Amino acid sequence: MATIIDVTEDKALEVKDFEFTYAGNEKPSVNKLTMPIAKNSITALIGPSGCGKTTLLRCFNRIHDLYPNNKYSGEILFKGRNILQPKEDLIHLRTQIGMIFQKPTAFPMSIFDNVAYGLRLQGMKNKTELQDRVEKALKDAAIWREVHERLKADANGLSGGQQQRLCIARAIAVEPEVLLFDEPTSALDPISTSGIEELVVELKERVSIIIVTHNMQQAARVSDYTGFMYLGDMIELGRTEDIFVTPSEKLTEEYITGKFG
Amino acid sequence: MTHTSKRILMNKIIMTLSTLSAIIGMGFLFWILGVLVINGVDALSWNIFSQEGAPPGYENSGLKHALIGQLFLIGIATLVGVPLGILAGTYLSEYGQKSALAETIRDISDIMMSAPSIVIGAFVYAIIVAPMGHFSGWAGSIALTIIMLPIILRTTDDMLNLVPSTLREAAFALGAPKYKVIIQVVYRGAKAGILTGVLLGVARVAGETAPLLFTSFNDNFLNTNMNEPMASLTVTMYNYATSPYEDWQKLGWAAAFILSMFILALNVLGRLFLLKKKGK
Amino acid sequence: MSAIIDKIFAYSSKFIAVSILLLVAWIFTVLLQHSLESMATSGFDFVTQTKWAPNLEKFGALPAIYGSVISTFLAMILAVPLAIGVAIYLSELAPAKLKGPVGVSIELLAAIPSVIYGMWGLFYFVPIIRDHVGGIGISMLTAGIVLSIMILPFMAAVTRDAMNTTPDILKESAYALGGTKWDVIKDVIIPYAKAGIIGSFILALGRAIGETMAVTFVMGNVHQISTDLTAPATSIPVTLANEFTEADSGLYYSSLFELSLLLLVISFTIISIAKFYFLRRARIGQ
Ligand SMILES: Nc1ncnc2c1ncn2[C@@H]1O[C@H](COP(=O)(O)OP(=O)(O)O)[C@@H](O)[C@H]1O
Ligand SMILES: [Mg+2]
Repeated sequence: MATIIDVTEDKALEVKDFEFTYAGNEKPSVNKLTMPIAKNSITALIGPSGCGKTTLLRCFNRIHDLYPNNKYSGEILFKGRNILQPKEDLIHLRTQIGMIFQKPTAFPMSIFDNVAYGLRLQGMKNKTELQDRVEKALKDAAIWREVHERLKADANGLSGGQQQRLCIARAIAVEPEVLLFDEPTSALDPISTSGIEELVVELKERVSIIIVTHNMQQAARVSDYTGFMYLGDMIELGRTEDIFVTPSEKLTEEYITGKFG
Repeated sequence: MTHTSKRILMNKIIMTLSTLSAIIGMGFLFWILGVLVINGVDALSWNIFSQEGAPPGYENSGLKHALIGQLFLIGIATLVGVPLGILAGTYLSEYGQKSALAETIRDISDIMMSAPSIVIGAFVYAIIVAPMGHFSGWAGSIALTIIMLPIILRTTDDMLNLVPSTLREAAFALGAPKYKVIIQVVYRGAKAGILTGVLLGVARVAGETAPLLFTSFNDNFLNTNMNEPMASLTVTMYNYATSPYEDWQKLGWAAAFILSMFILALNVLGRLFLLKKKGK
Repeated sequence: MSAIIDKIFAYSSKFIAVSILLLVAWIFTVLLQHSLESMATSGFDFVTQTKWAPNLEKFGALPAIYGSVISTFLAMILAVPLAIGVAIYLSELAPAKLKGPVGVSIELLAAIPSVIYGMWGLFYFVPIIRDHVGGIGISMLTAGIVLSIMILPFMAAVTRDAMNTTPDILKESAYALGGTKWDVIKDVIIPYAKAGIIGSFILALGRAIGETMAVTFVMGNVHQISTDLTAPATSIPVTLANEFTEADSGLYYSSLFELSLLLLVISFTIISIAKFYFLRRARIGQ
């Protein structure tokens, strides 16, 4: 009933027989899922609100572990190891798999300190090295020109779109291998949105990207692969052009043609 | 040691210290409650409720005078303070709203809630006790009323604000005059919240001692004349506890126990009302 | 008819609300009036002299002021770290099952009247200080400790509330960069809630300095300035509580009123700083 294709690229992540259940819930919010995530590509997750996109995304860096008694089963393979095993070093994992949230989350500190935050956590103290890395990250996030004269200013003074790019700079500064985006543009205006979209496409040169979006045009514009979720199931995963032009599943077709959702 | 393992160690240390703080905090709670219960239950007897104060050494001594005095003092403060406080809170939420006047009244009330209560005692001493020439139950009640007013006012204001404005608009749309909308719709919607505010306000003044020291003063015998000095649980507790007589100290513990249980009960009740409201 | 009732209701509620302002003004005025005799007689000596001898009509309030400042200071250094610890535990650490009960217990502890803390201090803490630290147990140190225990629950509860205002996704963002709990607390939660936390500490300070009953039992009301923390001492409210009913001359009364006025002005100032500077900013910040 589900159509999950295999990817031609190397795999950044492999999900196998995976289920996730929130604490206190009987039914899993992500059901028996097996899927690959292609390396240096963009995989979009789409589906109606409440279908489990965010839930699945937050499994990849195990941010769910901040709250007690959530249950994982199955495997998520990353660099050959199952990151769901209890002994997984979450601090290290999260430096390798970064995350961008629905709303900009600038920390209450300066622009510079925001970007340097992850580097400092890893023990980087050398000033020039920090400066170089912060500058590079800000350039890669296409926000250097707007902020280079006020690196010491409070990050909360930036506009929403700028803050979101700052958060991306902060995430890529630690050079992760995978980046998780949860509806990164849902709080932004159209111009900032297209800026972020361009940036995401550029970033796939260096990182593998999973992006949750409720906006099908966005998925079509930026992604290489698209997964359609419904009620906790991955109904279909395929190349984006196939999903939007010739979907294999009826449910997928109904969703992308706007029959529900 | 790598930087990250240092961070992890630091995290463990701080989390241990923080858990320790919570244990210490809870330790004090149990210590104080334990002391209250052990000494209080030990001192409780029927005499406490049926007998008045007596000189140290007498067998038949109790707290009847203080219990009844306390009821008078709090009762009158509540009868006066609650309606006035609710009306003033109503002004803030329904009429004054965000005006400069209303905001000033809010600010000053907030400050008054944390201001030293002994100073209120000094004020009431100056305006009532000194001119009358003697301490009195009235003076004590007035001091408590002054302390209670800002509490009732602010909670009423907050609770009325929680009533959705669509409810008001719907009533106005039916042609009801404002006072009817307030009394029949807004008050009804905020009932549980206002009641909670009243309970917490009463609980707060019930424990006040300092403003009574030189207003209602004290009396070792039953007195129901508000024109005369009047016993309260709190001042009696203070006098008995600081006395050198063991039987008086014991009565002091009984007073402390009764008072604390009363205040804790009011607080728990107030919370339950709010919870029930939220549950709906 | 309705229109008249409507007017009456509106005006009477306004009248009462405005009376609160008048009442506060009246309190200041009355205290000031009654302080005039003392101000005229003692002038600045009132706050600079150390001799408080009512029988000689000498009223130097410095020991009481000193006692207020030192006991409050002691209370703050003891209570602040504990309050932060408890708040961290309640907001970030406690298992879900304990969060509620422990939190409510702490809040109930804050509702216990201060006279109970004083009495408990007298019977249970004074002997400990006497036997293990020194002196007669009635002392500045005892007062500071009892005061700190009294303000701890209030401080912990409001600090927790301030920390709880930090949005989850802000915390998650810091975890997502590999932060530990403590990293997230010190780099994100505390900076975010800073204004609220400092504001509530200052508010607690304002309350502590005006607190009477928790310290009256254990301080001794001795007008002396001693660097020995185990020596008896006094504070402004302790002096008022002990001497108001004993005053036997106009000047004595007036001096006590001046002390009351001083206390009210100090508390008002501290509470206003907390409220207008820090807590208002905290509210705007959110
Ligand atoms: N913290 C939570 N606890 C329990 N259930 C949750 C929680 N968060 C989300 N859910 C449930 O999990 C399902 C998937 O939610 P989510 O992943 O947020 O959907 P989406 O991101 O696709 O809109 C929903 O049914 C939602 O109610
Ligand atoms: Mg979502």
